[in-house]
Amino acid sequence: MTDIATRATRVVTAAGSRRRPNGGGPRAGTIVAFLAPFFLPFVLFYLVPIGYAVWQSFLVVRRTRGQYGTSYTTFGGFEQYGQVFQNTEFWASIGRIALFGIVQVPVMLFVALIMALLLDTPLLKLKAFFRVAAFMPYAVPGVIAAIMWSFLYSPQLSPLVDLLEGLGLQPDFLGPGAVLWSAANVSTWLWTGYNMLIMFSALQAIPQELYEAAKLDGAGNWAIAWRIKVPIIGPSIILTTVFSIIGTLQLYAEPAVLRQISSNISSTFTPNMLAYAVASGNNYQLAAAISVVIAVITFVLSFGFMRLTAKRAGL
Amino acid sequence: MSNTVTRIRLAGAVVATTAGIAVLAACSSPAPSGDASAASCEPAKGKVTLQYWNTVPGMDQVVALWNTKNPNIQVQTKNISNDQYGTIGNALKAGKAPELAQVGYDELPALRTQDAFVDASACSAATAAKSKFVPWTWSQSSFGGTGVFAFPQDTGPMALYVRSDLFKKHGLEIPKTWDEYAADARKLHDADPKLSITFFDPNNAEWFNGLLWQNNAEMYGYSGDKWHVTVESDQSKQVADYWQKLIDAKLVRTDLAHGSTPMYAAYQQNQIASYVGAAWGYSMFRDNLPDQAGKWTIVPMPTWGSSAASGDWGGSTVAFMKGNTHLYESVMFNSWLNTDPEALALENKLGGLYPAATAGSELPALSQGVPYYNNEKIFDVFADSSKNIDTSFTWGPTQKTVNLALQDAMAKAAGGSGVLTDALSAAQATALKSMKDQAIPAVAGN
Repeated sequence: MTDIATRATRVVTAAGSRRRPNGGGPRAGTIVAFLAPFFLPFVLFYLVPIGYAVWQSFLVVRRTRGQYGTSYTTFGGFEQYGQVFQNTEFWASIGRIALFGIVQVPVMLFVALIMALLLDTPLLKLKAFFRVAAFMPYAVPGVIAAIMWSFLYSPQLSPLVDLLEGLGLQPDFLGPGAVLWSAANVSTWLWTGYNMLIMFSALQAIPQELYEAAKLDGAGNWAIAWRIKVPIIGPSIILTTVFSIIGTLQLYAEPAVLRQISSNISSTFTPNMLAYAVASGNNYQLAAAISVVIAVITFVLSFGFMRLTAKRAGL
Repeated sequence: MSNTVTRIRLAGAVVATTAGIAVLAACSSPAPSGDASAASCEPAKGKVTLQYWNTVPGMDQVVALWNTKNPNIQVQTKNISNDQYGTIGNALKAGKAPELAQVGYDELPALRTQDAFVDASACSAATAAKSKFVPWTWSQSSFGGTGVFAFPQDTGPMALYVRSDLFKKHGLEIPKTWDEYAADARKLHDADPKLSITFFDPNNAEWFNGLLWQNNAEMYGYSGDKWHVTVESDQSKQVADYWQKLIDAKLVRTDLAHGSTPMYAAYQQNQIASYVGAAWGYSMFRDNLPDQAGKWTIVPMPTWGSSAASGDWGGSTVAFMKGNTHLYESVMFNSWLNTDPEALALENKLGGLYPAATAGSELPALSQGVPYYNNEKIFDVFADSSKNIDTSFTWGPTQKTVNLALQDAMAKAAGGSGVLTDALSAAQATALKSMKDQAIPAVAGN
């Protein structure tokens, strides 16, 4: 990787030094025309909003005197960040999704990996069907999936609850302790197939010669799966893990929908829900600070994980 | 990845972000020079077009009626029910607010705190409209003062919906007081453990606020240049304690969200025998539980003492928004929209609005019996309820945030950790904290 980058730099430098050999070369106008379609939206709809949020997070509201005195904003330094770090609801929500992530992400990725490996064995029949079936939930929008599951969780409506009660069980999918895992179940249902597909495509890219060599060395199907396939698709597993960490930190749709039918999901259940609740209470500055802190935590966790696993994965 | 490449990229991002911040620095609002001068009420020369944002179903048809009658004052509607206050708030920030917008009573102080309104009291037609509305609605729209910031549109006077067949079956009279209601709750539950008298939705602060209002539990006051926060009061604690006892004894369900499919399913399955609701709820039952036609009756809300008292749940105003340069025309339209019998009848028919104008109770649709309710004149009950609502009740400037805190804490209580009076303490603390965040001077207690 480093080699390629260095070589690429050299080529670029060489191209740069061969300036206008015949008075032509790429004109600035051409460069702008090619870059603009990416760069303009990137700046307008990505960098500027982020910059605006960062700027907002450094402001505080002040007011002229009186019951309905006019408000204005002024620079307040890290005051909003102080509020974020003192906010017990914020840390409670972080703790909640940490627990969610520590359990849900490994479970989901393990299931996805097993499914990908099964699809990759010659033993399984009806592969095309299973591949599409496993991927199907991903085609369902997250909100719709959450609404669908909320009907399965509601004791008033669910055939599942009726069935379990018939077996003498007393399930309470929406209870104070269970509701986090009910949300995790929706996420797992939604995303397992997607992660499986990433791993499965990586498996497809492995040259068959490797398996032949392994078989000649006496490896069975198990050994091939765990000693050849899994290590080779390591980078894909890491990629799906990073996606899942980011997804967990941004958890919103599933709990927000379940909140419609369960009061055990508070308005501050996840960090994103807290940010939304604060913004809807007209405290945009604090909401901006919360968002920036969530972004930094996401950044640190995903890059931290990548660094931690970089050596192993050969990145 | 080569370090050089990373560093160059990072530098680029930093430069771009810094540039963004520099541009945006200009967006920080400057300190205002002083209060806005009183708006004038000159009629415009020629044709005027007004923007009116609302969430009422069928409002475009009401406005079309006005537009055909008033070629020189044309009104354009926009439905903002998707994100009512988000849309209004963003428009205000951008300086592009409409001339008129629908604002709920409980959001009026919050928006006024954001300098969202213009005072229309320079128009004589605006101040004269006072006598046309139910007193508490005018008092909230004018913030108890002489300004006119909004015209009341609809209200949600509360009453008790009763499954008369279930009450009869278990030999119960219609409860007059909350004590009788609790006794009935016990009798129903003892007779049939699957039957509850009602449900308590902890995620419905607006409903709970209506109950507090009925008991004169004033949550806010203003004097000496400060807000006085009294969310936690003897009156509010009385209401909280009452419902806590019903929850503890498992006489009310706590697992149903108001308006959700499971709630209707529970009613459909005859598991709940009454509903503490507002006037606009009559069509909810009619439309969602058609097989229960004839089984429901509507009676006054149970009271705490012997004298009649009621609360309000919901309802909205049509506010004069900041930047409105056509106050004269806006007052004319707003006045027609919310007091003209033809307009009120259409709004009631299409949008289910229960009018805030006193003339509303004389509308044909609101003075007849309603087939679903055994042809009873249910709107007479709501009209009486409306007259018995405390006019001095005041909403806070951070009501939405306080409501969320109240809900989160009520949900904990309903889930078995803590009690409802703790939720009042939490709401009180949040009120003070959120007002401090918005630099609004506030103290606890009277």
